[in-house]
Amino acid sequence: MTNSMKTIGRRDFLKAAAATTTVAVTGFPYVAKADANTIRIGMTTILSGRVAMLGNTARAGASLVFDAVNQAGGINGKKIEFVVRDSEGKPDVAAKLTRDLINSEGCEIILSGESSAGSFAVQEVIRSLPVLCVHAETETSSLTADPKLFVKTAFRSCRQGIHDAVVGGIYASKLAKEKDLKRWVTCSPDYAFGRDNTAQFIELVKMYEPSIEFVDQTWPKLYAPDYTESITKILSQQPQAIYSALWGGDLVAFVEQANLYRLFDNTTMFSTAIGDTPVLTAIKQLPEGIHTAYRYSRKSPDTQENRDFADSFKKLMGYDPTGWGWEANVGAAFIVEALKRTNGKTDGAALASELEDMTIKSPLGVNGEITMRGSDHTIINYPVAWSQTVRKAPYLDNFVSVEWSKILEFEKEWQKSKGYIQG
Amino acid sequence: MDTDALFMCLSSSACAATQISTAFIIGMLLFLVASGLSLIFGVLNVTNFAHGGLYMLGAYFALSTFEVTGNFWAALVVAALATGVVGIILERLVISRIYGADLLMQLLVCYALTLIMDDAVRFIYGSEYKMMGMPQVFDLPPVAIAGGFVPSYYLFMIGASAVAGLALWFVINRTRFGKVVRALAINPKMVSALGINTTLLYAAVFGVGSGLAGLAGGLAAPIRTLTPGMGLSFLLDSFIIIVIGGMGSIGGAFVASILVGFIKAFGAIGFPLFTDGLMFVIMAIVLILKPQGLFGERSAL
Amino acid sequence: MISSLATNIGLAVLGIAAFAILPSIFPGAAVIDFIIYVAAYGLLAMSLNMLVGLTGLVAFGHAIFFAFGAYSFGLLMQSGSVSIPAAVLLTVVGSALLAAITGAICVRLKDVYFSFITLAFQMVFYSIILTWVGLTGGDQGLLGGIPKPVFMGIDLTNGYTQYLFCITLFMVCAAIMRQVWQSPFGYTLRLIRDNATRADFLGVNVFAMKLAVFVLSGAMASVGGIILALFVSGAYPEFAFWTTSGDAIFALMLGGTKLFLGPLFGAFLLELIEHFVRAHTEYQNFVLGIVILLIVLGLKRGIADHLYDLAVKLRKRDRKPVAVTKLAEAPDA
Repeated sequence: MTNSMKTIGRRDFLKAAAATTTVAVTGFPYVAKADANTIRIGMTTILSGRVAMLGNTARAGASLVFDAVNQAGGINGKKIEFVVRDSEGKPDVAAKLTRDLINSEGCEIILSGESSAGSFAVQEVIRSLPVLCVHAETETSSLTADPKLFVKTAFRSCRQGIHDAVVGGIYASKLAKEKDLKRWVTCSPDYAFGRDNTAQFIELVKMYEPSIEFVDQTWPKLYAPDYTESITKILSQQPQAIYSALWGGDLVAFVEQANLYRLFDNTTMFSTAIGDTPVLTAIKQLPEGIHTAYRYSRKSPDTQENRDFADSFKKLMGYDPTGWGWEANVGAAFIVEALKRTNGKTDGAALASELEDMTIKSPLGVNGEITMRGSDHTIINYPVAWSQTVRKAPYLDNFVSVEWSKILEFEKEWQKSKGYIQG
Repeated sequence: MDTDALFMCLSSSACAATQISTAFIIGMLLFLVASGLSLIFGVLNVTNFAHGGLYMLGAYFALSTFEVTGNFWAALVVAALATGVVGIILERLVISRIYGADLLMQLLVCYALTLIMDDAVRFIYGSEYKMMGMPQVFDLPPVAIAGGFVPSYYLFMIGASAVAGLALWFVINRTRFGKVVRALAINPKMVSALGINTTLLYAAVFGVGSGLAGLAGGLAAPIRTLTPGMGLSFLLDSFIIIVIGGMGSIGGAFVASILVGFIKAFGAIGFPLFTDGLMFVIMAIVLILKPQGLFGERSAL
Repeated sequence: MISSLATNIGLAVLGIAAFAILPSIFPGAAVIDFIIYVAAYGLLAMSLNMLVGLTGLVAFGHAIFFAFGAYSFGLLMQSGSVSIPAAVLLTVVGSALLAAITGAICVRLKDVYFSFITLAFQMVFYSIILTWVGLTGGDQGLLGGIPKPVFMGIDLTNGYTQYLFCITLFMVCAAIMRQVWQSPFGYTLRLIRDNATRADFLGVNVFAMKLAVFVLSGAMASVGGIILALFVSGAYPEFAFWTTSGDAIFALMLGGTKLFLGPLFGAFLLELIEHFVRAHTEYQNFVLGIVILLIVLGLKRGIADHLYDLAVKLRKRDRKPVAVTKLAEAPDA
């Protein structure tokens, strides 16, 4: 990983042209010889198509950690080699490439940069090829919460839907009470994440403020180019508040199109994802006062370490980190710490037992620390907060957070209700 | 399936007016893309699956022009013209080699062009999603129509699409150029025998079709997120439209575009999960009952 | 006839044996993965060629059967009430049924309209998968993996055993298709491809013949889906998306439609190209696009078709009689 993504793209491109010409003569796929002096860590993520940007930031977030390790002399003298492949977001390709990375590229550890469908496919690969795998980008709670899906060497280093929902529920219910917002609608993308996220938010906000009524739900397609039909349908309901799990380019289009209808003049919006850097910067007319869940901000956690992280990321990519960026960064940090503790041994089971209940220092941690919970292999103590949009960069302000003890307390109830734990 | 909600909306004039306007907003932009696709199929007998890519190029051309000049009208003109030029180049370099080739070859070549265009855009603009932003002139409150509200930009968009469609219809049906083009669709050899340069004509028609897609992209740029691959969903929709409307029929493309607009607008209320499925079901029914499409007389133009 | 059946069975057994020992020559799990992947997509392409190359029916929506195979097999195994062979059998029968129903509508249409309606059916199927979340898991696909209980002492959780099982499935299907390819039925289909009106005059029931090959090819495509479902231990809506059909068509154009094994060769080349290009650039689609253009515009036909024509030319040089070369125009494997 060099400092310039663009040049690496071009150089790789020429290499690829050369590679294709040799394909015909080489025959079977090349099997890489594992080098004793390097540790190969593989990643599949989405580098092309509509969400390519997120995959790019995931790669950058992780490479910041690995580059730092290599500059400091590696782990036990071994350098880390980071091998990244584009899955285009297709689950079967993600599964196949992950197998390829392990079987033929000599990768001993996987840092998976797939969104939900892809990571469920990767999870099955890890079940049969038990190397250490850290899922960095899947918020769908069931991946680690559902014991049926549990894999001994698989972990998750990203936000989890249920944690977010607790904070969102508390935050939104308080505002609803203050501003007397009773009439709500939802507008979320029609796929697993959108549906789960929205259902959890509704459940929680109604639990904390039972007078709220959800009068309508709209489900635009994922990656839909146009939201006019959803926006006009929302308008017809004259809601006081909207909850939306739209994200990325979809959310950008939704906000700009809703602006045309002056939707935000009389309606308070609660969004899971407007707080993500690329969304904030892509929207030309960012309405003020949209409430958003934390994706990433250099202002929260409000520490020098976090600002340093944001600066080094910006130096690499040209913009502030994204949610995917810090999540991959944390995943990489956990892998590195586990490797240090095993003295560079890459055995899946050994690394997994180190990772369980491991706490690392991280610029993203609440109080500077993030923990990998041993019971269900997912992180806690990462930043969860809600904030409001403002006109000036970095476009977010008034961060409101909730104590993790409160989140965990509710999570337990939720796990019981789902039958994930006995109780 | 929420028929109650659908019925409620239809019985409220404000809701019905808004959703009808939505149908036209969605439909007219689709019509621009589909009419170009239909024109190319009618005259050149090529199913241009690369049309979605040209729509994407139009949007990016508009973005770049707008960023440089700050002038939305210039952006629209450049979007249409530059995409038309790209179309002509593609026709000369690639498409002209597959005239008369079987459908599979056409499909593959166009698929390849789409892949190349998508990655070229990613290479130049990066993979970040981009927004052009609403031009100052349209920064107005929405206009009230029959109790429903329609943003002024959408009124302009519908108008511009209608004008482009009418102009296309006029040129094809009322001008000498149109006469030659229609003759070309039916009997290229005869046109050639009359001393008309058919090679040039083919390129021109492909250029016009591409230009329409580019214009659609330019019109979409202020309101839609620009990403590499943004043409894909549009391609499927416009493809359904020309099959339903009749391949090669501009009028059919119009009717089918509006129909698809209505399905999407009211489907969002009545059956949000299956609107796409429904469009394909309708396409299948049309194919079974009238394979040449609602307005297709022959298989060509 | 009987001798050709024996040949095909023999070839299949030989093929299984050859692939059984292959991993000991080229060791490594990657080789096995690669072969299974090519077998899955190869079956899709070969079964599609029964329609395209043999009968002249250009189907755009063939992946509907591929996806049906993967989902049906996955769901049956997750139900926990059937064994693997039973699930395979049920899936193939179910797929044949689906093909019979959709085919009865599709094959009545001609030319591009046939292509479009197959695409429409596939996309409706895709929408159903996305919509029917309770059964299919929607966009996340079948979650939790596909259980592989031991049957007749065979344990598919073992990588090599699963590989052998997939190869066997592949070879059985290939033998069946090759048998059809060479049978009088196959020659009737070629007649329909070349001149349906004449076939009709000669008393051939064109509709029934087309439907029959449609059902057969649908059933064979579903086995490709089964292999892929076994391999990735899941089924995903992407299998039913039109791009999957597009990949199969690409394999056909790359390999060629004239030879029975052409599409398999195409699928092999496609996977190989993707494998190498992906390893070197994230702009793999750009490279892929250029490769397609070069092949389609440069070669005009699949690579195997060129090799075949070359072989015919060489044979022509040896033996002059016109009748022989004429016969060779209707190619065999």
